[in-house]
Amino acid sequence: MRIRFDEQLEYLKTQMIQMGALIEGAIAKAVKALISGDRELARMAVAADEEIDQKEREIESLCLKLLLQQQPVARDLRQISSALKMITDMERIGDQAADISEITLLGNIKPEQNTSHISDMAIATIKMVSDSIDAYVRQDLELAKAVIEYDDIVDELFNDVKHDMIKLIHEDPDNGESAIDLMMIAKYFERIGDHATNIAEWVEFSITGKHRDGANR
Amino acid sequence: MKKRIYRSMLLLIILSILSTAFLITGFIYGEFYARMKQEVRNEAHFVSVGFNLNGEKIFSELADQNFSSRITWIASDGTVLFDSSADPGSMENHLDRPEISDALNNGSGEAVHLSRTFGTQTFYHAIRLQDGTVVRVSARVNSVFKSVLNFIPYITVISVLVIILTMIIANLLTKKIIVPLNNLNLEDPLSNDVYDELSPLLSRMAKQNEQIELQFQKLREKQEEFNAITENVDEGIIILNSKGQILSINRKAAFIFGTELKDNINKHILQLNRSIPLQNAVEAAMKGETYEDTFVKGDNTFNILASPVKGQKPAEGIILFILDITERQTAEKLRREFSANVSHELKTPLTSISGYAELMMNGLVKHEDISVFSERIYNETRHLIRLVDDIIQISKLDEKNINFEFEKVDLFEVVKETAEKLTLQALQKGIDFSVKGQKAVISGVRQILQEIVFNLCDNAIKYNYEKGIVEVIVRKSDENVILTVKDNGPGIPKEHQSRIFERFYRVDKSHSRDTGGTGLGLSIVKHGVEFHKGKINLSSEPGKGTTVEVVFKDIQTTDKLDT
Repeated sequence: MRIRFDEQLEYLKTQMIQMGALIEGAIAKAVKALISGDRELARMAVAADEEIDQKEREIESLCLKLLLQQQPVARDLRQISSALKMITDMERIGDQAADISEITLLGNIKPEQNTSHISDMAIATIKMVSDSIDAYVRQDLELAKAVIEYDDIVDELFNDVKHDMIKLIHEDPDNGESAIDLMMIAKYFERIGDHATNIAEWVEFSITGKHRDGANR
Repeated sequence: MKKRIYRSMLLLIILSILSTAFLITGFIYGEFYARMKQEVRNEAHFVSVGFNLNGEKIFSELADQNFSSRITWIASDGTVLFDSSADPGSMENHLDRPEISDALNNGSGEAVHLSRTFGTQTFYHAIRLQDGTVVRVSARVNSVFKSVLNFIPYITVISVLVIILTMIIANLLTKKIIVPLNNLNLEDPLSNDVYDELSPLLSRMAKQNEQIELQFQKLREKQEEFNAITENVDEGIIILNSKGQILSINRKAAFIFGTELKDNINKHILQLNRSIPLQNAVEAAMKGETYEDTFVKGDNTFNILASPVKGQKPAEGIILFILDITERQTAEKLRREFSANVSHELKTPLTSISGYAELMMNGLVKHEDISVFSERIYNETRHLIRLVDDIIQISKLDEKNINFEFEKVDLFEVVKETAEKLTLQALQKGIDFSVKGQKAVISGVRQILQEIVFNLCDNAIKYNYEKGIVEVIVRKSDENVILTVKDNGPGIPKEHQSRIFERFYRVDKSHSRDTGGTGLGLSIVKHGVEFHKGKINLSSEPGKGTTVEVVFKDIQTTDKLDT
């Protein structure tokens, strides 16, 4: 019985990793499309969202099945419940990658308006997402903590982008539309960073049994 | 086992004691019964004889003498006339007693009477006397049951003693049987010193041990062979089970994925790397298909090849090969660049030739200019020929499998020969061109060595100032032969130094055609030196000059290396 349960937990883990790989791929495509203006990549990023949603539902039902059939306790329970929470954040990341690509597809943004801060943000959020999934895969507490710390950098970059956009509009009011689009994209990146932080917090919870928000309140 | 031995021995002992006791009792009882009967009969005869001789006073005389048996005298009607141990008057009529009636009818009768409590047994014998009365002698003894009861304490004591003895013996025996078994050295069965009955088992065991050891050895060798192969190949090899868990991973694969070798066994492959091409590869192989794709990790590009084990559906396992194709891709890029360069380099002189020829064909050239044009065409053709020669040379060197004959070559002689060809060129530029050195034999290919020396000297002269100095030195040092070409020309700027050995790379792109170079000279030198397993050292300072040092292994060292 226990062996079967362990196998199912292992299966859950590989499913989570697969979903992680999907969202990583979606963000990478969205970012590449944004920077290079490649519309085909942008469409692929939008299409990936459906696959991610599908994966979320699969993992969700797997988790519920495990909870019902095995009635896990302690560490196993934490692993399953944190997976259940993590997929929500992962699914949101997929949505936002699709949203970014949809804005890219609008075609208001000219490549030269992409400030270095936007691409820095893109790189930073990709790193955060990758690291948070790595932390889950390796059950690496230090890496999870590093991801949570890293969110501050993304927040700072968001402020930098805001200033850049103000300058852009100031230079030429005609830039307004693309500046707002870029601002939205920056916001999405910032949200992705937050979701990656959430994932890292759930990784921390599944290892230590303590959730950050719960501990602070 | 020990308990069972105890138990069966105990059972046996108790059974034997009991059966012996019963048998003996039975046997003795039989004897005793017959003897008692006999005795009572004898006594009855004695008494009857006595009565017949002496009359009735015999009874009282016998009673007085504490005669152990009881004597009763009974009248023919059954009334008791005398009894040695009771009052005859109180006794009942004895006519119904079987022994009496027998005696009255037949002359004698006997009976055995077991008392109601089974405690005693009475033997009777009656004889009819001459006067018609009957005398009866009876003897009362303990019954057989009573005797047996009397035995029981003795039997118990003996039994306990025997049982204790049995326990001790059984203990000793079992120890003797079991202790050697417990202490058997199963690693080396034949070394045991035990009773003979065990030796067939032990020799069989020894044989099997040997076989097992042999098979283990074979397995180990197989495993080592497998490890040796997988650990030393330059490809990453990962073997997965049907669930995608890692069964085996070689050093190179662990290196590619940046993990420790041992941590990965039984982990799912996705925990190692979750890139989409890898996922697709594993998925396809699980369905029983082979799959090939490339993925990028860090700066390197890898080719991934997944194949299912046994080709069954679903696959029992998956083998992943991971090849680093970064170098191959770079090489491919280089080759593409080279062909592009070659076409460009070939096209330029051809365009000039065709241009001049066209002008001449259309009669647009004055007669006196024809020689000038022809010379230009000639020069471009010369350049083309040189270019094609160089390309052939470098292609030959690229194809390392082309067989050049290695022979003993005196490098100094090669340098002198080559220098002679260049003296004129040096003279024209007013360059002081000198060759110094000693005989230095190396193992090499004369033709390639000539190319190396020619290209180095040619460059030193060509790219020198007017009236410069070029010095070529051949010397021996330790195990090496060193060829130095030194000039005091303009030198090579630092940023170009690492690239001048590349094909078609030119430091001064604008003037290259004037000097007549092909851009392949130093590349040929580099390949030629590599072909001889030598080394090139370049030191150059802009404005001061350039020194190129080529280090070859001398002939003795090469011989030593070969043998």
